[in-house]
Formats: sequence, C-alpha cells, structure tokens
Amino acid sequence: MTDIDTTVVEQTLRIAARPETVWQYWTDPQLIRDWWGAADLDPRPGGTCRIESASGGVMRGEFLELVPYERIVFSFGWEPTDGAPPIPPGSTRVEVSLVAHEGDTVVTVRHTIPADQAELHRSGWAAHLPLLAAAAGR
Amino acid sequence: MDDALRAVADPTRREILRLVRDGEVAAGELARHFPSISRPAVSQHLRVLADAGLVAVRPDGNRRLYRWRPEGLRDVAAFLDELWTDNLARLKAAAEQREWP
Repeated sequence: MTDIDTTVVEQTLRIAARPETVWQYWTDPQLIRDWWGAADLDPRPGGTCRIESASGGVMRGEFLELVPYERIVFSFGWEPTDGAPPIPPGSTRVEVSLVAHEGDTVVTVRHTIPADQAELHRSGWAAHLPLLAAAAGR
Repeated sequence: MDDALRAVADPTRREILRLVRDGEVAAGELARHFPSISRPAVSQHLRVLADAGLVAVRPDGNRRLYRWRPEGLRDVAAFLDELWTDNLARLKAAAEQREWP
C-alpha cells in the first residue's frame, strides 16, 4: 500500500444495483453529479474528465480506457486552486472495475501514483527498469 | 500531507525514492545518477523529500546517506482513502436508490 510506484489506495464496495446502472453513474455527467460533483465528461479514450466537487476542488484528467459495464480507467489530479492537494491534473491513475455478483455490482477502485515510465526512459534509466521492477515486487 | 503529495508528484523525486528504497545511498552517488541535473538541484530534491518525511538522512563522515521512509507515504494514502470512502458511499446510495426507487 505504501510502495513508491504501485498502489496507494484500493477499495472495494458492493452495490445493490446492476453494473449497467453503476456504469452510468461513472460516465453520465448528470448522474455523477449525484455523488461526486458537477462534471464535464467525454467518456472515450482521450476524452476529458473534469469534476467540480461541492467542497470546491476541481478534479481534472482524461479517460484512458473504457470497457462498457466492466472497466473505466482515467487519469486524475487537481487543478491548482487554493487548498487543492498538489497532485497536478492527470498525474495519477484511477482504475475502476465493475463485476456482476448475484444481481449486485462489486466495485473496485485502484488509485495509484504511478512511476512515469516515459520520464524514466528519457533520463536514460531504461536499462535499470528490470531491476526497479524486481525491487518494487512486480 | 501536502508536502508528501508534492514530493511524489515529481518524476525525478520518484526516481530518487526508487534508488534509496533498498538501502542507504550517499548524496554524491545519487547526484551521479542524474547527469542532466545540477548538483544543487539534486540537493534541493533531496531536501524536499526529507522535509516531506519520505527519506531519512544521516551523516557519515563528510557524506550524507539517504534512505527511504515508507511510512512517509501513509498520509497520501490516508487522504486518497478517505476521498474514495466518502465518494463511494455516495455512489452506492445514489445507484441503489435508482435501482430500487
């Protein structure tokens, strides 16, 4: 849980609703408003994901992967407003999985602060990646 | 919490954390891993990491040895954990109300 470049937070929750319903609550701007905030969502790879929560923080990232009713991946950060955590827009990654179970949906959220592989390559560290991966236990 | 978040948001600092995760590494040796970054800039990154509690430092003669403090990231995890606990509880309430009005 406190690895440098792997999972920071993982949570699982069972919801008494079908995956189709839960999916809509992640991808429909009118519905995400009911639990997160006013949203500007373009749910396709590369599409915008911007959510203004009631507390004032603005989350901004982009959708990376969508498998209808099963999986949503998006990048996650906050716009630099007063009191916002210093995680820049798009700098962390959230993976959401929806699994049907006896008519309910098991929702798992995995939020990671990932190591930036591209940055590692640019700075000449590609040769060390296998070592790093071993050290990180992956 | 803010300090730790700011510290890990930077790719160079994440690389430093990786270099010190398996044991103590001297400041000079760390600097040699970043040929494109000036020595003072590397020192500044180390200071940010130390201030955030993500690395521990101890002197050894005229060297300064750094090692990873995994507990330093716990505040970040706790913050995100709380965020998702609150969000998911509201998601559950909203979705269940729609399914079973």
